Amino acid sequence: MKRLFALIKRNLKEILRDPLSLIFMLAMPLLMEVLFYFIFHNMTAQFEMKYLAPGIVVFAQAFLSLFAGILISLDRGSAFLTRLYVSRAKAPEFILGYALSLLPIALAQSILFFLVGGLIDHSMFSVGMIYGILLSLVPSFFFIGMGILLGSLCNEKSIGGVASILIMGQSLLSGMWFPPEGLGEGMLIAMRVLPFKNATDLLQGGFLGYESVLTGFWRPLLILLGYAVAVFVVAVVVFKRKMQEK
Amino acid sequence: MNAIEIKHLRKEYKDVVAVEDLSLSVKEGEIFALLGVNGAGKTTTIKMLSTLSRPTSGDALIYGKSVVTEADAVKGLLDVSTQETAVARKLTVSENIDFYAALNDLSAQETKDVKQRCYEVFGLDAVKDKTAAKLSGGWQRKLSIALALVSKPKVLFLDEPTLGLDVLARRELWKAISAMKGEMTIILTTHYMEEAEALSDRIGVMAGGKLLFVGTKEEMFAFSGKQNVEDAFIEIVSGGKV
Repeated sequence: MKRLFALIKRNLKEILRDPLSLIFMLAMPLLMEVLFYFIFHNMTAQFEMKYLAPGIVVFAQAFLSLFAGILISLDRGSAFLTRLYVSRAKAPEFILGYALSLLPIALAQSILFFLVGGLIDHSMFSVGMIYGILLSLVPSFFFIGMGILLGSLCNEKSIGGVASILIMGQSLLSGMWFPPEGLGEGMLIAMRVLPFKNATDLLQGGFLGYESVLTGFWRPLLILLGYAVAVFVVAVVVFKRKMQEK
Repeated sequence: MNAIEIKHLRKEYKDVVAVEDLSLSVKEGEIFALLGVNGAGKTTTIKMLSTLSRPTSGDALIYGKSVVTEADAVKGLLDVSTQETAVARKLTVSENIDFYAALNDLSAQETKDVKQRCYEVFGLDAVKDKTAAKLSGGWQRKLSIALALVSKPKVLFLDEPTLGLDVLARRELWKAISAMKGEMTIILTTHYMEEAEALSDRIGVMAGGKLLFVGTKEEMFAFSGKQNVEDAFIEIVSGGKV
């Protein structure tokens, strides 16, 4: 347990001491939340705070993949991880150390963007906000798992480009910036089966309530959990294999 | 007592034999230098001995524990400082030591004591509050090797510890490595002949994955018919052709 806490503390410090991570995971999404609300909320319902805040939470979480991936790829590249691998710590402790260090950041993102949303639109303050914050942990598992996977596969030069595809996917396929109804059937199917819109739907539903518990809550929840578990299993296998290749 | 017993160790990568039929013993507390040109098999040997790479055949025992069948037990006995610096970049020097102490289950008092020892041996107190990323290459390498004092390994592998350092930083690191002598068995790989001569009790010479010579500096001179380590090394590796 002492080793795990040491790893969590170290990883958290490494991420939070990088000003870029604070800018991309907190400052930029916050700015987008405020700006998009004030510019567009009178034009389209899409940008009312009750829809915008949950979308921004999931959008910001996509950056967890980028910064988890950067941390792991740098650790691998610098031989730091090689050294830890021959220490008393075990591979599951490394993976948990990475994963659990990012969870507080995911929670901080969720609380920040919901609270700022509430300060702008006071009607946001409700029990739904607590549900929204708690449910935001589900997509964060997926994005953290993706970060571990990408960090195990990519080197420090390629991780930025690969992770930005994921961030782009979250942005375009989440349905938060434009109504999906006008898109083609193929895009709608992609949105339905990929985790991105399901993540936004789960949080918006948790916050606003569900028309149908089955399709509004259970379907996105199970899809996201399925992706999160699958990504974590693959990430653990790839991480261990890459370490043995060292 | 032997700290390391290597028995017919072999490593193949597809059609390349990186290490071939390597057998060797290293005594407890000894500093053993492994010399070789690029591609000689030094780093592959270190990787196999430190459980980072599985041998194709053969075995090595670290204090009687097999690197093949008892890798977890072996990991508790050793530490590795690789060619690249292995420290947490955004932690300060002091935080790096604290982190590594926690990873090795040291108590608060043990951590305090070992930190003091790192400061004394490596002079790290001068930069204790600087983040590792802001240190010069020499200081980073010192910190990387100092962390080996924290884990208190029985066997320490130093893979080209002074590669790329200026002459002053190299001499300071030699002094620190010499100060660790007796506390642990040290296996050192290096390209620098004078480093092997200054630090080691015995020298092994590798070329093409094979161990060509093992012995003291004096035995190396007698074996090669030369009077300094560099000439003796060239004689052994080239078979007198260079």
